[in-house]
Amino acid sequence: MKRLLKIIEAVRPTFEQGGKLRLFKPVFGALEHFFFAPSTTTIGAPHVRDPLDLKRLMSMVIISVVPAVLAAFYFFGLRFFLMIIVSYAAGLTVEAIFAMVRKEGINEGFFVTGILFPLILPPGVPLWMVGLGVAFGVFMGKELFGGTGRNIFNPALVGRCFLALAYPKAMSASWFEPGSGLTGRLFEYFSVDPSAADAVTVATPLVQAKSGQMCSISHLFLGSVSGSAGETSAILIILGGVFLLFTRVASWRTVVSILGSFIVLTGALIGGGAVKCGMPGVFGPVIWHLFAGGLLFGAFFMATDPVTSPTTNAGKWLYGITIGSITVLIRNFTGYVEGVTFAILLGNIVAPILDEIVIGIRIRRLRSEG
Amino acid sequence: MKFRGGHNILLSGRPEGVVRIMPEPEVLYIPLRSRRFDFSEVVVKDGQRVSNGDTLAKDPDNYGVPLLGPRAGVVRLNKDENHIVLEEVTRHEEHVDMSKEELSHIERRMGDAGIKRYRLNALGAWQFFYDAHTGALPDPLGTPQAIIVSTLSLEPFLARGDVQLYKRLSSFTRGLEQLQSLLEYQPIYLVLPDIKSDFANLIRNHIRGHAWVKMVEIPLTYPYDDFSILARNLGLKRSEGPIWAVRTEGVLAVDRALTLSKPCLVRIVSIGGTGVSSPTHIKVMPGYPIQMIRDKYVFEPVARMINGGILTGELLGTETLGLDTECRGITILPELKDREFLGFIRPGWDRSCYAACYLSSLRKSFSERFTTGVRGEGRPCISCSFCEEVCPAGITPHLIHKYLYRDLIEEVEQNRVDLCIECGLCSFVCPSKLDLMQQFIEAKRLIEQEKEEIRREQERQEKLHQEELARKSGEETSE
Repeated sequence: MKRLLKIIEAVRPTFEQGGKLRLFKPVFGALEHFFFAPSTTTIGAPHVRDPLDLKRLMSMVIISVVPAVLAAFYFFGLRFFLMIIVSYAAGLTVEAIFAMVRKEGINEGFFVTGILFPLILPPGVPLWMVGLGVAFGVFMGKELFGGTGRNIFNPALVGRCFLALAYPKAMSASWFEPGSGLTGRLFEYFSVDPSAADAVTVATPLVQAKSGQMCSISHLFLGSVSGSAGETSAILIILGGVFLLFTRVASWRTVVSILGSFIVLTGALIGGGAVKCGMPGVFGPVIWHLFAGGLLFGAFFMATDPVTSPTTNAGKWLYGITIGSITVLIRNFTGYVEGVTFAILLGNIVAPILDEIVIGIRIRRLRSEG
Repeated sequence: MKFRGGHNILLSGRPEGVVRIMPEPEVLYIPLRSRRFDFSEVVVKDGQRVSNGDTLAKDPDNYGVPLLGPRAGVVRLNKDENHIVLEEVTRHEEHVDMSKEELSHIERRMGDAGIKRYRLNALGAWQFFYDAHTGALPDPLGTPQAIIVSTLSLEPFLARGDVQLYKRLSSFTRGLEQLQSLLEYQPIYLVLPDIKSDFANLIRNHIRGHAWVKMVEIPLTYPYDDFSILARNLGLKRSEGPIWAVRTEGVLAVDRALTLSKPCLVRIVSIGGTGVSSPTHIKVMPGYPIQMIRDKYVFEPVARMINGGILTGELLGTETLGLDTECRGITILPELKDREFLGFIRPGWDRSCYAACYLSSLRKSFSERFTTGVRGEGRPCISCSFCEEVCPAGITPHLIHKYLYRDLIEEVEQNRVDLCIECGLCSFVCPSKLDLMQQFIEAKRLIEQEKEEIRREQERQEKLHQEELARKSGEETSE
């Protein structure tokens, strides 16, 4: 450790003002601060600070998706590992270039986007598409707005939305049957060529449900169904999501309001007969819809992004209800089978307005205080 | 009462509940400045021999609050900048520095209540009073709408009320009675951590029959003992007159000044924090040499001394040689020494975090050994809204921060940055390591300045207008 610190101190002048590699200072800074906490101290009151920093905060999100990542390895094979690497490489390049131009540090926010993005892609998607999608998402969704903390849209969802609209055929043909048995596809490099006519594609549960076939809830619960790499296993997503709520990095209000409004509205539609379902009863189909598709993953990991969701508590409730209801509407009444991506992006759009309303009310209440 | 926000920072080195007597000093270094006061009007001469209780200097901007000589000695004015140095310090019988003639003159002018207030000021008890909303010194001749008496100091670490009250309970209740005699019918709110405890019952028995004291129970969470938060929660509006606020030591000082007619010269100061060998309370007088405290209590070679608590205290630099007149506690914090290797991946069993992001959240609450490290890189705000949750004043720190970033002063004002009580919790919890509190203090200063300018401009216009009128009427009469 001491030796590493010595090396860092030795090469520091090259990256400082006047050094040969001063352009790469953000990269150097990111590496340095990855290994060693900064040596800055407080200058005035308050003299102490909470141990939590952004690195730790973002690490918490990464830890919470570990179950989903492991599930993706098990169900869809080692190719997923390559997808993560490509996603990180492409996204980090964009992030680093912008950091160099802006002369700011490389922001930790990207490490979350980089792992979340492959998790919401179909497992068979070509690798160049992963890179293109994440680069687009980071560039258009984040950097153009000024970087982490100033973006309006969730960059991972922007990337996914871009791929879904630009390459609809490749995206819809990249699903495949998940692995099963003791090791699943843990030791396989399984890939499909979406351009080939005989691609081994299997429709996702929501697509099948359109034609009346509904797989069993237990399959959805465990994850042995076709779908995006990280969204299939409901139990593992809930596990990671609850951990995230426990650490208070994600807001429980957002999650509860999304899932609550989804359950209530789906229940009402099925109970009222507006939506036909291949399953008897109301409770069963509602749970089925809750576990199917990307709803849980979106609710726990995408919608709770603090930057793009409202900051006020009341705003979070409204935001969750908006996302939950729009998901139901898109799933049941439009040509798309999966609506979470669009619903959360729409939620991102209304988030600032919701905040504005809530803060307006709060300001009015504060006016007479004190 | 409904409180919001708040968070207890558990810093290791909590002072124990006893008061230790420090050895008598030979030289006193009395700073001419403290948080609220600036004793710029020195009334003693170089080389003059003073006895204890003599007025050394006054603060002309704060109703002439006196700086009393805590001990007898010889004054040296030029020895050290910003200090009055007392040499050959000895302890004399206190004598009251008020001539009979002057007293009767004041009595004729201001009546009985007036003389009591004059005595409070002259005997150094008035400096324990605060205006609940502004924190400044209230006007001693004004009429408050209520008095808030707080027995709590929740910030780590300040002298605690229970320690100060130990063996002084009768003085305390007598002081409350004296406070009441300053008022007509206005209530006194006595703030206690538990109004059903034995201690509270003891107080209740002592003050039986005095219906004007209302006991108020508040939870032991920082900063619910803040006077403006208390005033807001008690529903006391700023527009309905000033609110006086006073802590335990203030009530004891009132008793001393009005019942015994003696000046208040010593105070109980806490000494705590991670860098202290045996955290405790000490009984000292203003001007007590800091070096003596340092030699006795600080074991860390590189430590930061803070005048006040860990969140709001001021840095006690080497240029300050003695305790100032307002000191309530000294906190000692080791400086950050080593850079942690892979700090953000560590399980963090020993760090207590506001959000439950470390393993320590599985543990019972414990005191952390804090250092002065910022513990992270400065980053843009990610709107995690921890600051909003923790804010006791009910404002939205991260939003105000963003407005300030874009220079939208009007929006900042609309979001009531003036309600900020400067408790420092927002800066403490911020994972982006933004110094929110300092930004707000700066913003408040700017807004005040702007208002002052507008007021002055209006006055000028009015004056011009009046002159114009006078000139016109003068012209008319001359015609």
